[in-house]
Amino acid sequence: MTMRIELRNRKDSSSYKTRNQNGDKCRRIRARLHKAIANHLGLEAIWVQRHVAMCPRCQHRLASVGRVNLAFELLKSQPHSLDLLSRANTQAIGVLKRTLREGPKADKLKTKRPEPALAEKCSKYTHSTANVAACLAILLLTKFGVFSCMDKFQTQGQKALKQYYASQVGQDLADEIFVA
Amino acid sequence: MTDNTVSCGLVWDLVVSQSVDQSQRWVLTTMQRHGGELVTMLWRILGNEQDVCDAYQSTFLRLAHCEAGKRPKHTKAYVFRTASNVAVSMLRRKMAERNRLAAAADAGTTTVKVQDTGNPRGNEASVDGDLHTKDLQDNLRLCIARLPEHLRNVVTLRDLAELPYRQVGKVLGISAATARVYRCKAIRLLALWMNREKRREQ
Repeated sequence: MTMRIELRNRKDSSSYKTRNQNGDKCRRIRARLHKAIANHLGLEAIWVQRHVAMCPRCQHRLASVGRVNLAFELLKSQPHSLDLLSRANTQAIGVLKRTLREGPKADKLKTKRPEPALAEKCSKYTHSTANVAACLAILLLTKFGVFSCMDKFQTQGQKALKQYYASQVGQDLADEIFVA
Repeated sequence: MTDNTVSCGLVWDLVVSQSVDQSQRWVLTTMQRHGGELVTMLWRILGNEQDVCDAYQSTFLRLAHCEAGKRPKHTKAYVFRTASNVAVSMLRRKMAERNRLAAAADAGTTTVKVQDTGNPRGNEASVDGDLHTKDLQDNLRLCIARLPEHLRNVVTLRDLAELPYRQVGKVLGISAATARVYRCKAIRLLALWMNREKRREQ
């Protein structure tokens, strides 16, 4: 019985692995296809650019889509006051039940301010982190490189000395010296 | 004897109310988790701080009272869709009011042209057209409010709330690919309508 369960588990895990591998492959192929399509059929493609330069209808269409995108960008870039979140929270909490209104969580929400995402917070440290990582990598490489070179140098030197002794005093004596 | 019954009743009421409040704590948790994103989205849709506060308040009021105070299955989806719907209905009301005012102004005076956005401007100013950023933003807001619901939802969640397509799909109960197709259609419609508005202004 236990053997059967084990076999089934193995089968399950192997099928899971193959499914995962297939999924990775699919994802890679999809990414490649997307890239290829973007290169050959996207707006950046040379033949599209050439056509747009000659066709007033396409120019018109592109301009109107561009205007929509510009309007979206303008909407996104428009800032609101910093205390808007706390004001909205205060107003919304004001209409909830009394026990919810008076909890410590509610007080915290009433003074909450918008915070940047973790990725944005860390973005200012990216440059310095990259520098430190590069320094560490260089140090590690140097350290390992130097040690391996020294090892190599030692073994080569030993070999040369052994050969010299073997040629001068004989193989037996040389073996005795270097084994000792 | 009666005193004992009254005190027992009071204790029972307290216990019941506390359990109800405990079960509603998720409203505050939702506010804490999604409040920032919601305010940003509402601000982009409405462009007015008081309106944002009102829409936010009615969103959470609806959340607290939906399904007799029980937590909905997908809280994030519920909150985002409700907020978007509330904001768009506010925008539509505003639009109708402005149109009414514009019609009244047109009937009253012939020299001052009142635009769709409601800003009373002279003929000279209307030549500026889309270069005026405020006009462009107002125009876009009005056009978004005119979109069919399925397209509008995708645009508000993708472009104004800046959610990734996968999450947009989850919130709306569609696939990410469908969300992409809807967005594409919405952008085409918006481009067409905004172009028409521009021509009309010129």
